[in-house]
Amino acid sequence: MFEVAIVLITAMVVLLIAYLTAISSRDLIRLLISLEMMFGAVFLALIPVFSIPEMANTAFGVLVIAIFTSSSELLILIASIVLLNRIKRDVSTDVVSSGGDTL
Amino acid sequence: MEIAGLILLIIGVVTVLSSLGVLLSRDNFYSALYMSLTMILIATTFAVFDVQSAFILIAFIFIGAIGIITVALAAVFRFVPKKVPVDWLWVIPTALTLAVLSYTLYKYATFNLSATSVDVSAFQSQYIFAIVFLFCLMVLLMVSILNIVRREEMCSR
Repeated sequence: MFEVAIVLITAMVVLLIAYLTAISSRDLIRLLISLEMMFGAVFLALIPVFSIPEMANTAFGVLVIAIFTSSSELLILIASIVLLNRIKRDVSTDVVSSGGDTL
Repeated sequence: MEIAGLILLIIGVVTVLSSLGVLLSRDNFYSALYMSLTMILIATTFAVFDVQSAFILIAFIFIGAIGIITVALAAVFRFVPKKVPVDWLWVIPTALTLAVLSYTLYKYATFNLSATSVDVSAFQSQYIFAIVFLFCLMVLLMVSILNIVRREEMCSR
């Protein structure tokens, strides 16, 4: 009966931990890890949608789109890591002097 | 509690513990390993509900490709970063997300969860254009990134 509660609470906790990791990260690798954890929480939150027979294919479609989005995010972050390392010899976001959050 | 519920509870607890490992570990390499463990446990949750197609997709593509690349990146750029103070203004969006998720939990906590398997042939016919467009998006993204990296190489010479 409370299986949905277990799945959703787990998804919620994983998402909040991923948020905290992203907030406290100061290098691109850790940011990448936290973003993937957020996608993991999204996957968990999709499980209840699979239990509605009419929505099972839609849930699978959302899952496929989420995996593609995650792959795109990985591509962009790998390019960012390579470029930042080439230019600044460091992957820490502290070396970024403009754009984004105040550092 | 039924045996399936107990297994789900154990998987949930271990998932939360391994995700805490990501947050608490200061070495990025170990964080990436804990992240992979979290993803494997999330895929296992799908297996518990017998959604095998989603399990295979997450286990082979998400963990097998993306997770391993992240572990490799963390191993290549391995260093222990400084301890960073957190800006407490981030509490506001986090609390908003928590409120939305809590409402969802309150609304659907007693929902009967019995996942149905995915009809892959119907999915292919329904979502063929979405998949084709997603592949096109990935190829365009790769070409754009290659252009950016090559342009940066030309500038640095």
